[in-house]
Amino acid sequence: MWTDVIQVFQRYMGTGLIMIWFLAAVIYLFLSEKRKERRILFVYMPIILLLLYFNPLFAGLFCRLVGSEIYFRICWLLPVIIVIAYSAVCIFERMKGKGQVVFAVMTAVLIAVSGKPVYDNPLYTKAENIYHVPDSVVHICDAIVVPGREVMAVFPRELLLYVRQYSPFVCIPYGRNGWGIEYVGDSAEIGGFSDAMDEDVIDLEIVAPFVDARSCHYVIVDEKKEFLGNPEDYGWELFGETDGYVIYRNTKVPLTF
Amino acid sequence: MLLQILILFLVLIVLPVLVGSIFAGVDGRDSLSFRWVSGQLCLWAGFQAICVPMILLPRENSFFNVIVLYGVFAAAMLLLALGLCIKRRAEGWHADIVKEDSGDRDIAAFLLQGMVLVLLAVQIVLAVVLAYEEGDDAFYVATSSITAESGTMYEILPYTGGRTTLFDARHSLAPFPIWIAMLSKISGVHAAAMAHVVLPVVLIVMAYAIFSRIGFRLFRDSRHKRLLFMLLLELLVIFGGQSLYTAENFLLVRTAQGKAVLADIIIPFLFLLLLILLERLQQKEQPGAKYWLLTAVTMIAGCLCSTQGALLTCILLGVGGGCAAVCYRKWKLILPVAACCAVPVALALLYLFLD
Repeated sequence: MWTDVIQVFQRYMGTGLIMIWFLAAVIYLFLSEKRKERRILFVYMPIILLLLYFNPLFAGLFCRLVGSEIYFRICWLLPVIIVIAYSAVCIFERMKGKGQVVFAVMTAVLIAVSGKPVYDNPLYTKAENIYHVPDSVVHICDAIVVPGREVMAVFPRELLLYVRQYSPFVCIPYGRNGWGIEYVGDSAEIGGFSDAMDEDVIDLEIVAPFVDARSCHYVIVDEKKEFLGNPEDYGWELFGETDGYVIYRNTKVPLTF
Repeated sequence: MLLQILILFLVLIVLPVLVGSIFAGVDGRDSLSFRWVSGQLCLWAGFQAICVPMILLPRENSFFNVIVLYGVFAAAMLLLALGLCIKRRAEGWHADIVKEDSGDRDIAAFLLQGMVLVLLAVQIVLAVVLAYEEGDDAFYVATSSITAESGTMYEILPYTGGRTTLFDARHSLAPFPIWIAMLSKISGVHAAAMAHVVLPVVLIVMAYAIFSRIGFRLFRDSRHKRLLFMLLLELLVIFGGQSLYTAENFLLVRTAQGKAVLADIIIPFLFLLLLILLERLQQKEQPGAKYWLLTAVTMIAGCLCSTQGALLTCILLGVGGGCAAVCYRKWKLILPVAACCAVPVALALLYLFLD
């Protein structure tokens, strides 16, 4: 339990430099802040909240009730950035003339160096449309959706995250959750199927029975992939091509109203 | 398109500002930003009170009923706000919105203000033009899309489209995605666009509006200091990517997820309310009924955002209220603090019972 608490805090801190500035700011305010209400808010409360966070009894209770993976949210109660900014302005207040400008610039630089730009993340990409889902998802869903009913379709792994954000009328036999793993049934059947779909050469002997069993009307495949077997022999008709993906219609599953 | 923008402007800006006048005077000076945030919190609390029973007792057209009842609630709040405004004017309250003391207006202030606004604009523009591959959106945004299109609430699995077989207490008791679905339904804007574009713009501005109120209370005497405070906060948010778990990261990356709203709007606003409470106690003043009402409303709004909202808001208010009671020897404070925690505690117990 104690190791979990420490690890969660380490993950929350990241490099730890901003947390060091926060603790330094709390100490500075403890020594210099005279106004009682601000001492309570910026010194006493953060200390109590930190003690609470590292209290094994509290941590044990919290983790038992809601799970240890979200224990880091207790850290949201620490007014980290408010305390740092407030103490920096208090120091700025004590300086005179050009010293104030130098201090303000140094503080800004220190923040930039100690932290990391949120936007410096490989998961950020230029939005392709107002929905913030890939254009391919929009085009494929618009192509396969049938007015008045839902359709079931198999999508490549990289599109799973977005399909149902864009169209609730397109159902998928397996999806992706927040941890990036497949969802709904951890059965070997789904695992085997999704692995087969990920191969450069898709073995229709493995894939087609699953597609039929899950009543999938469509199968979407990356155009670069090849098949082991002839799709038409398995009832897959070429429906269309868009954005680097090929859409097959599984004629064995009727699209009736 | 213009009609959609107008509807969203009315629902997300005008309505909360008008409803927020119910809480006029809580912040001392009656600022538009405080009205806007407190009004939205009041509307969120109302939405929570309407939506959760509808989810627990599903009927035909539950989502439609939620929209209708929310409309009735919003209208009632508007009437109440109007009534209170008329009463205040009759009592001789000279103006509803007091223009804030602008303080120093020199080149330094102009430059600082420019930098604050540019950094805010950068965050807003990047929220619109950059897309983030966020795994949790597969649940939350899909839930909003499903609800807006199907009219059902938590009856369809967002990941796949299958029917739910078990009651999902964790998400059902914190139906923030349903609020997004409601906005989508009444404005005609797709739920994905609402969650990824419209709400990030509104919620990022709202988070900074709260920071600006905190800054105003901390540095009443100097505009320079207020602006520097805001500038440093913006930098700390933008450079808050040292970990994926910081509230700053959540503000820019997962803006329209309930947990981000909890971390970046509800908790900072509770912090502002604690600052107001402590300042009043320091001046030997009573916080007043409106103050406690707004605190209770904020706590309920926290429950809308996340099931952990109940726990986190109670801890923060408990620690803050406890410190105030001890430091100022005002033991009676414990009563309103406990009363404000009543709804979150009840929801937490319900969660434990249902889960």
